[in-house]
Amino acid sequence: MAFLWAIIILAGLGFIFGIVLSICAVIFAVKEDERIGEVAKLLPNYNCGSCGYAGCAQMAEAVVKGQEKKLSKCKPGKPDANFNKIIEYLDKHPNEDGTKIKVEI
Amino acid sequence: MPFIDTFLVPFALAIISSMLIDNVVLSRFYGICPFLGVSKKPQSALGMGVAVVFVIVLASAICWPIYQLLALPEVNLPYMDTVVYILVIASLVQLVGIFIKKYSPSLYKSLGIYLPLITTNCAVLGVVQSNTDQGLNFAMSMANAVGTSVGFLFVIFVFSCIRVRLESSDTPKAFKGVAIALVTAAIMALAFIGLTGMAG
Repeated sequence: MAFLWAIIILAGLGFIFGIVLSICAVIFAVKEDERIGEVAKLLPNYNCGSCGYAGCAQMAEAVVKGQEKKLSKCKPGKPDANFNKIIEYLDKHPNEDGTKIKVEI
Repeated sequence: MPFIDTFLVPFALAIISSMLIDNVVLSRFYGICPFLGVSKKPQSALGMGVAVVFVIVLASAICWPIYQLLALPEVNLPYMDTVVYILVIASLVQLVGIFIKKYSPSLYKSLGIYLPLITTNCAVLGVVQSNTDQGLNFAMSMANAVGTSVGFLFVIFVFSCIRVRLESSDTPKAFKGVAIALVTAAIMALAFIGLTGMAG
């Protein structure tokens, strides 16, 4: 019976925390450019910091806001696996005023 | 006054001893990662410290009753403690992250990857685990949590102020950056040994 208790307690706690977190995520939601998340997904996501930013999400934010032009600052990133995909993505998703974000490898 | 002797004095002593004498960073060597990573600017060090205080105090308050539940004879699962603590801490860190992102985007930016890394800050798990391992009661574990986390806040803030001064001072080239920071941390740890025996 002990293992049943273990399952019930862990699943119950996980369920409660999950509900609380998802409610908070809705209440305290911050509007963010959705391209930042997509670019962050295309980066290697090692969060190594060798680009000079705190993590991959911060690098992606700088790229989308046009502050960072050189993708090769990301040291573990590969041209085929990461950089070209990001360039392609940004090419397909221009800014609201129609201008495109220009980045190079 | 029995209340003062049996409750207030041990409570205050526990806070002071876990804050200064058994300092979490400098004498137990927990939480070195944020201590070195987020101490370049006093502003972000303060933010990190406050976030850690929040997580440690809340995690201790939530984990203590959960442990009592796990240790009940009918349940009898005390070995599940670490797993449950990690679950609680991870959820709390997510919550803190959501709050900070909403109310202080600049702090969110300067904490960066170190904010989710509070989850793996061993100071948090260490405090919660040692509370229940020592069999402390609720008040004492809260004293331990407050003392330890305020000790962390205090030390990371002092350290960041020292690092700002180090930045502008003329350090030998080989020691620049993290090397001199580690030497500084070691000297701080030596200084804190001087407080041993203060609480009797």
